[in-house]
Amino acid sequence: MSCGQPHDTDCGEVLADVWLFLDDECDPGRREVLQRHLDECGPCLEEFGLEDHLKALLARKCGGDAAPHGLRQRLRESIRQIVLDQAGVSVSAAEVTVERRGDGTVVDARSTEVRQDR
Amino acid sequence: MHATGPGASGRVGRRRVGSVPIHAGSVMEPGPAASVVPVAGPARWEGSAVTEGSTVDPVPGERPELEPVETQEERIARFERDAMPLLDQLYAAALRMTRNPADAEDLVQETYLKAYGAFESFRKGTNLKAWMYRILTNSYINGYRKRQRQPQQQPTEEISDWQLAKAEQHTSRGLRSAEMDALDQLPDSDVKDALGELAEDFRMAVYLADVEGFAYKEIAEIMGTPIGTVMSRLHRGRKQLRDRLTGVARERGFLRGEEVAS
Repeated sequence: MSCGQPHDTDCGEVLADVWLFLDDECDPGRREVLQRHLDECGPCLEEFGLEDHLKALLARKCGGDAAPHGLRQRLRESIRQIVLDQAGVSVSAAEVTVERRGDGTVVDARSTEVRQDR
Repeated sequence: MHATGPGASGRVGRRRVGSVPIHAGSVMEPGPAASVVPVAGPARWEGSAVTEGSTVDPVPGERPELEPVETQEERIARFERDAMPLLDQLYAAALRMTRNPADAEDLVQETYLKAYGAFESFRKGTNLKAWMYRILTNSYINGYRKRQRQPQQQPTEEISDWQLAKAEQHTSRGLRSAEMDALDQLPDSDVKDALGELAEDFRMAVYLADVEGFAYKEIAEIMGTPIGTVMSRLHRGRKQLRDRLTGVARERGFLRGEEVAS
């Protein structure tokens, strides 16, 4: 297939390499040959432009979804849990609160227990 | 006109530089070789480490990548610093794979837990993002998809080959710019849906190349296929995608007139 103009490289051959060119996966020699063709062949240049446009369109519209709120924290907790499980450590939560009131002091204590099973 | 002679002496000089022994650049700790503990454990990520030359010589004491043993706290901190920032990207990729937010979240969760479990064997200096994507892809293919009992979508080779032949021709001039304008008017959801309708292998290759910007070699490592297969999936996937998008644009009335891609 040719656009009817004389070129060193056939249009069909150039168009077959459109993705190598746009993905920046050509060796420099081939790239130069393709670039030279594009400089002199309007129809091929336009076709490359459209495919490049499509690549940009996908990048713009198909990425960028943010992870749901809270997923990051849930992952952190899962990893912590795995680490503790692997180490054979069990941790029980503990809390002590001291509250002074007009009529006295209230102390609320809950026990802490960290146990290593090995 | 000056005839520039071949710089014979210069070339010899360059060759000499190339003949410097492999280990000349590596920093070697003084001390007994016996203090180096051989690393055992899960399979190591060999993907992007190919250029390091570190697999060449297994002699203890000449493996500069060995580092002091890391504590769990240090590993968690390193994982937090290096792997956690990739969460949104991996979630977006999981969403494109599973096409469903709940499944995407499960897949990402599985990926991160596996990644943490293998993080000890991940070599610093290699490509963490590609490593994480490989775990994501493997988890999807080996775990999620089997559980879902979804039949794997097989790319329709004949149709693709026919489309491939069609791709290597010019379309007529004015139509290409009309097509470009029409594609730009499509809402994001149409573009995402069109990508989602591609056969799975095509969809993943196109996503990894165009949205994530991975090189062919990296996509080959992530998907566990030869580079030629990656190129073929990209070529066919993109062609199908363009045809679908053009079709949608026409349905929506953004593109009028003659048949475009023929």
